[in-house]
Amino acid sequence: MATTMLHKHRVSVLFSFGRSLYRRINVSQGEFGLQQKCSAYSRPINTLSASEAVAEIKNMPDESRPMPAKKPISKAMKAYLLQAKNYDEFMKKQNTEFQIGRRHLANIMSMDADTMTQEDIDQAIEFLFPSGLYEPRARPMMKSPELIFPPKKAAEFDESGRPYHSLFYTMNPNFYGLLQEAVTEYVNLNKEEDNMIRKRISFNSDMKIILSGSDWLSQEKLSNLLIEQIDDAQYEQFKNVMLRLAEHPLSNKVKDFIMKYRYSLVNEAALAEIPKPSYEKDGRAYVTFKGARRKNAYADVTVHMPGTGKFLINDCDIEYFQDIQSREQITFPLIFTALLGKVDVTATAIQGGTTGQSGAVRFGLAMALRSFVDDKMVERMRLAGLLQVDWRTRERKKPGQPGARRKPTWKAR
Amino acid sequence: MSSLTKLISTLARVSDTKLALLNHSNVQIISSAKMSQYPKYFIDPTFRNDELNALYETGEVKEKALVPCRAALTEHTSSEFYSSFTRKFINHVMRKGNKQLAREVVEKAFEVIKKTQIQKYHSLPPEKKVDFTIRDPHELFHQAVINVKPIMVLTPIKRGGVRYQVPVPVDDLQATILAYKWFIEASKDKERTVRFYNKLAKEIMDAANNTGRVVKKKLDLHKQCEANRAYAHYRWN
Repeated sequence: MATTMLHKHRVSVLFSFGRSLYRRINVSQGEFGLQQKCSAYSRPINTLSASEAVAEIKNMPDESRPMPAKKPISKAMKAYLLQAKNYDEFMKKQNTEFQIGRRHLANIMSMDADTMTQEDIDQAIEFLFPSGLYEPRARPMMKSPELIFPPKKAAEFDESGRPYHSLFYTMNPNFYGLLQEAVTEYVNLNKEEDNMIRKRISFNSDMKIILSGSDWLSQEKLSNLLIEQIDDAQYEQFKNVMLRLAEHPLSNKVKDFIMKYRYSLVNEAALAEIPKPSYEKDGRAYVTFKGARRKNAYADVTVHMPGTGKFLINDCDIEYFQDIQSREQITFPLIFTALLGKVDVTATAIQGGTTGQSGAVRFGLAMALRSFVDDKMVERMRLAGLLQVDWRTRERKKPGQPGARRKPTWKAR
Repeated sequence: MSSLTKLISTLARVSDTKLALLNHSNVQIISSAKMSQYPKYFIDPTFRNDELNALYETGEVKEKALVPCRAALTEHTSSEFYSSFTRKFINHVMRKGNKQLAREVVEKAFEVIKKTQIQKYHSLPPEKKVDFTIRDPHELFHQAVINVKPIMVLTPIKRGGVRYQVPVPVDDLQATILAYKWFIEASKDKERTVRFYNKLAKEIMDAANNTGRVVKKKLDLHKQCEANRAYAHYRWN
């Protein structure tokens, strides 16, 4: 009876503070009642500005409204408030410094500080502090402090120190909440599967999720998403649980849940971006692809449609390439798309050797041909490896050894 | 030959998968992902139209949609003159990275084979011409390699300070590589005036008929394996 009273009491207190607190901590009224379903607790706790929290809590004893007897603030809450205050002050200071820095930078670059975007800042920094460091994060940078310092969680407990989340004492409530949600989904799918078997409904491969083309979020990204530090073992656990769920024969039903924790491997927008052909005065359609590369060679390729299969490479016909393999290379996209003899190809190739130049022309030609074939053929070309830049280059020789990888013959003495 | 297969079965430790490998099949070209400059999830290109059509028919293409694909290699083409089996052999013939020369030599050898086949066809009496089919040199070469691939090889294994030549079954890829090596060795062992491609053409045609010195080399090796069967147990003890 006493606990029920307490619950009622807390709910009334919360409502008396108004909607903002209620909304901010992202806890619904039902969750304060008896703990019925664990999955109800797995909602991630949102971040909040600490100053807001402090102000709100300071304003709590409002005389105009009737208040129950003042409750002592727990030590946990006090510690949190102090921490939040410090964090907020720190961020405020960082933000001021960033704004001043931005103004200085705008002055140096003679730009308008108010309209300066992050992109402009990055360009300016790269111009003023050129760096040859390989790792991008090691290079000089200037970013908004929100992008650099990890976000902090809002208070996870009330003034009396009682946690909101049922998994609070696991230290990682969002992470374990996620696992619990996955398991709940799995159990539900199992029930559905049982039902289907009972009703003799047959399964097909469309009911299972296709995972190819995407990968699990990295440990770092998952940590950021859940606002929790996730260690290696936990990340493994996450992957195992999610994979188990994904391998369920009915996993397509929970596609949205699974795909929330995966990212796409290809840039779909870039794939769909195919230029429209322009037209010459004589009515022939043409498309130019510039800057195709392979090894050290670069090529610009123009394709004219309709044509008679003429090649013009550096003002020479196909005999510009003297070996058969190179000629084979530049006709490969045409044979593949069955456009050999139906288009004219004009190309300029510079630098590099024969293989590099023919490879660059091949890539440029394949990219330009996309405008003259249907979507299905474009996908076929992609699967044939025609639309992928071959970015492999020769590995440099290392000092102290005869080649890139080869070591001198071992001599004992 | 039957005793040889018996020997294999007596080895007994050979697993089923290994035995399956002994059956002559096409060479599986295994791509090495270890030093690849592409990220791991990149798949190999399917650049032959027939292979791609097969992917569409079996529905495997659904799984490959939106998975990044590696660029086709320089030697890849969807031209009908492409044969992955022969391209691999060209790489074995190649010396000091001179692929242009290696390719020229092998193609010349194939030209000689084709010419000889046509000559053979025209020299036949008309009633026999019906049975004689002019075979594609690529096909003939494939048959020749199948005839030359050994089932077992000898491996030196040290036991009690003595090196024993122990017969061991050889997997398909190793057997193919040995066959390539023997063809090249046999073609190099010639008069100074004879051309490499002429000799290579002759060896390939002989081997396709299950005759010639390369096939003999395989039989000799098998005979030696048979002779050393007493050492076979050194493989595992």
